[in-house]
Amino acid sequence: MNVLALATEEALLALKIGFLVLLYLFIVYIVRSATRDMSEAPQESIILGAKEAAALRAEHGIVEHTPAVARFVVLESPALDTGRALELTTPAVVGREAGNGVPLDADEFASGRHARIDSRTDGIWVEDLGSTNGTFVNGGRISAERLEPGDVLRIGQTELVFEP
Amino acid sequence: MTARTRELVGLVLAGLIAGTALATVTLARDAELSPSALTYGGLFLALYLAAHVVVRRTAPYADGALLPLAAVLTAFGLTMNYRLDPSGGRQALWVLIGVAGLCAVLVVLRHDYRVLESYRYLFGVAAVVLLLLPSAPVIGRSVEGVRLWVDLGVVQFQPGELAKICLVVFLAGYLREKREVIAQGRIKDFGPLLAIWGAAMLVIVQTNDLGSALLNFGIFLAMLYVATGRALFVAAGLALFVGGATFLYTAIDRVNQRVTIWLAPWTDEPVYCSQTGELLLRQDCDSYQLVKSLYSIGNGGFGGTGLGEGIFRAPDGAELIPALRTDFIYSAIAQELGLVGAAALVLVFMVFVARGMRIALHAQDGFSKLLAAGLTFGFALQTFVIVGGVLRIVPLTGITLPFVSYGGTSIVANFVLLALLLLVSNRANALSRT
Repeated sequence: MNVLALATEEALLALKIGFLVLLYLFIVYIVRSATRDMSEAPQESIILGAKEAAALRAEHGIVEHTPAVARFVVLESPALDTGRALELTTPAVVGREAGNGVPLDADEFASGRHARIDSRTDGIWVEDLGSTNGTFVNGGRISAERLEPGDVLRIGQTELVFEP
Repeated sequence: MTARTRELVGLVLAGLIAGTALATVTLARDAELSPSALTYGGLFLALYLAAHVVVRRTAPYADGALLPLAAVLTAFGLTMNYRLDPSGGRQALWVLIGVAGLCAVLVVLRHDYRVLESYRYLFGVAAVVLLLLPSAPVIGRSVEGVRLWVDLGVVQFQPGELAKICLVVFLAGYLREKREVIAQGRIKDFGPLLAIWGAAMLVIVQTNDLGSALLNFGIFLAMLYVATGRALFVAAGLALFVGGATFLYTAIDRVNQRVTIWLAPWTDEPVYCSQTGELLLRQDCDSYQLVKSLYSIGNGGFGGTGLGEGIFRAPDGAELIPALRTDFIYSAIAQELGLVGAAALVLVFMVFVARGMRIALHAQDGFSKLLAAGLTFGFALQTFVIVGGVLRIVPLTGITLPFVSYGGTSIVANFVLLALLLLVSNRANALSRT
């Protein structure tokens, strides 16, 4: 065993330790930078149903988001008078079926349960409930979208303007 | 510090890790430090920096941890493949193609990846076709009794890897549309569930492959749970799967054999050997591969033998563990890096999965949530099935370890998965900023 072989062995050991140290440093770095943005809590649970989430919120003393009122003005509709102001207590379902927050029974292009208006921490949201003809905000088809004042929400042939 | 800066720092660290690992391997082999290790490390870093620039342009708000994590996983894969087969630089080529695929997906879908939802049924059909392709005559190929390969003459690939992604896209679109009806739990809505269960069973029968059936059915159950929040569905689905698998266990020799190997790899007395038809100790025949892999892991001990110093060949030069670079790469890593290194590798996978689930939580619409959750769960389950199989926690089935195992289809499919996760997180983070 000559000097060179000995040096190689020591270099290999050093490299091995260096590799493992680097690897764990990398993991610590990634996890640390990941926990830094954990404070921004997600808006809603991905797994809990609405009831369980509400129960959990109550258990932790988090004030249930009080039902907010979303105001709309009818721009055009076969079911509602143009210019009529709507005040929806969220969560409200819009659709052709009876018992909905907004009855659109005369709008043939609206689905039974078409869309839901809901209040979240960051404002009023509209979510499509798998409607046949889609829900549109300012002309674009959406699956869920936050409403800004002045946005035009189209459900079937009904167009509503979201008011602040 | 922005996500992109964090990504850059992470990638430089990943480059250092790859460089160190490659230097160790070449030093152990040649007893001298050749500059080629440095060149390879530099090329590795350059490749990922190019990907970083594309992410900066196309998905500026995307999660900053995913790309470095994938880089470290491919560094493991490149090092081990280079160490086990120095002549073949193919894995580097696959990683190059994979990163190109990542960039292509990012560029094509940079405006709105949610257009994929419109093509959900196309993806559903594609998933089924891809899963059944290996059973097709002429192009289908059987390797060791498992039908997973398609041979088109010029290229050979494993369509199962791509089917996984198509299935997730289909389920994300389908469940987003139907989640409310399905959650109500009327009997008629269980039709699709039963149909997919039937398809999973068919895949087992057709391909003899328990692993991919378990993987795809697991993805389906997880996404069903995410969409409806009903644990009962998962329990029912699991019961169905276990029931079906138990029946197949008694009906199909190959499945039966896998379970026997798992439960009792060693025998004291000669038993029937399915390969030669003679009476042999099971560790010398059917469970030879698994037992040799367990010895390999045991030889690593706590600190490992060191990269490039593990024993993978018998004194006469014969390979001790068949399929070492694909299915059994984890046992090679466990021998050379020991418990410390093998645990670090599992940690890297876990952090990747944690990031993916966080992306699903932060996504704003149902399709994105389901897409991110499904892709991440599939990634996690695949890792568990193969690492668990190699460690004899679950019956062994041959699937690849994401980003690490040798193989073109697997590498490219996982880079596509990574690109989709980056796009989902980009949109979620961009929305929460405004």
